Amino acid sequence: MPSLRDIRRRIGSVKSTQQITKAMKMVAAAKLRRAQEAITRARPYAVMLEQSLNRVASRAGSDEGAAHPLLASRPVKKVELVVITSDRGLAGGFNSNIVRRAQRFLVENSDKYGEISISTIGRKGRDSLKARKMAVRKDYTGVHGRLSFEKAHEIASELSERFLSGEVDAVFLLFNEFKSAIAQVVTLKQFLPVETGTAETTASVDFLYEPSRAELLADIVPRHLDVQVWRALLDSAASEHGARMTAMEAATKNAAEMIASLSLQYNRARQAYITKELMEIVSGAEALK
Amino acid sequence: MAALTLEIVTPERRVATLQADEVRAPGVLGGFGIRKDHTPFMSQLQPGRLTVVEGGREVHYALGGGFLQVADNKVIVLADSAEEREEIDVERARRAFTESTERLRSLATGDENYPTEAARVRRATARLEVAGR
Repeated sequence: MPSLRDIRRRIGSVKSTQQITKAMKMVAAAKLRRAQEAITRARPYAVMLEQSLNRVASRAGSDEGAAHPLLASRPVKKVELVVITSDRGLAGGFNSNIVRRAQRFLVENSDKYGEISISTIGRKGRDSLKARKMAVRKDYTGVHGRLSFEKAHEIASELSERFLSGEVDAVFLLFNEFKSAIAQVVTLKQFLPVETGTAETTASVDFLYEPSRAELLADIVPRHLDVQVWRALLDSAASEHGARMTAMEAATKNAAEMIASLSLQYNRARQAYITKELMEIVSGAEALK
Repeated sequence: MAALTLEIVTPERRVATLQADEVRAPGVLGGFGIRKDHTPFMSQLQPGRLTVVEGGREVHYALGGGFLQVADNKVIVLADSAEEREEIDVERARRAFTESTERLRSLATGDENYPTEAARVRRATARLEVAGR
């Protein structure tokens, strides 16, 4: 039976933990809002760029055979998996879900592809993959904190170079896709070679291209790749804050429950103590009679 | 009723959605203008000034390259960056201009950094031009 003082001390410690989780939840909520706005702002460009890409690519491929090398798929022997996690923990299953999916990818595809290299964005993913004795080819640092499009561009160009030089035949991005504040979906997306859809609208219209279709395509494809990385980063950031918010809300609730049960225990113990003391006084008085 | 609808977007945000009678843009093969019923057209843009004419009034944007697309009287500008006059940091642009010009002078024309540096000069020039109006 813990003493009254012990229980009181525990209540105090749980309370201060609860204050921290509550504060973290609020911070995460504020950051989530900002991250969501960033996603919304990035959407128009991404959507329009994809339409342009599809339009130019579908025509470029059809008549002059001038498709871009980044669009060309070849037999896949070597693949690269880009694992996007966060720099910080305390976000529920946010990072561990990704790492688990990465491991599954390795297990499932080890005999399909000759060689799988891994690069990471985010400290958490790097650390836990290393702890599991998996070789990380390259770790992109300093991406989180302040997301910038230039950084996305850097990553995208490096991956493209590896693809063009033949070091890898395909690149996949693995990240948490943002569905809503409480739902994040682990998503595996093919990054290279670029898959293009067909242009739905105005496909009948013949565009004039300046300087030329091939050159435009060579301009659009790298931009499209930048945007893919950029969106994955934005999604991952929003998901991280969403996951942390949910986790911290749960922690705050658990702390409240714990405080309630400890308070009950404390009051019971206090009452038992008073009763005991009363009995002692009464029986002492009885004895004096 | 204006002849064209114009959308300017960058990777980071939607800069503007406007009505326009005429749009003038810095194409890589030289500047060009667009009016009502322009043929479907797509062009790469170099850093420079984008001018939007609406009801006799002109609005300028400093573009950092990108490309433009016209179809069905809809103009879409996918720019790397786009700033209106008030948004331009003149000090920064001026500094970028002097620094890049210096560096450009020291480079040979065949240097691999030459195009990036030249583009930087053009971007700064575009900003200063728009800001100066």
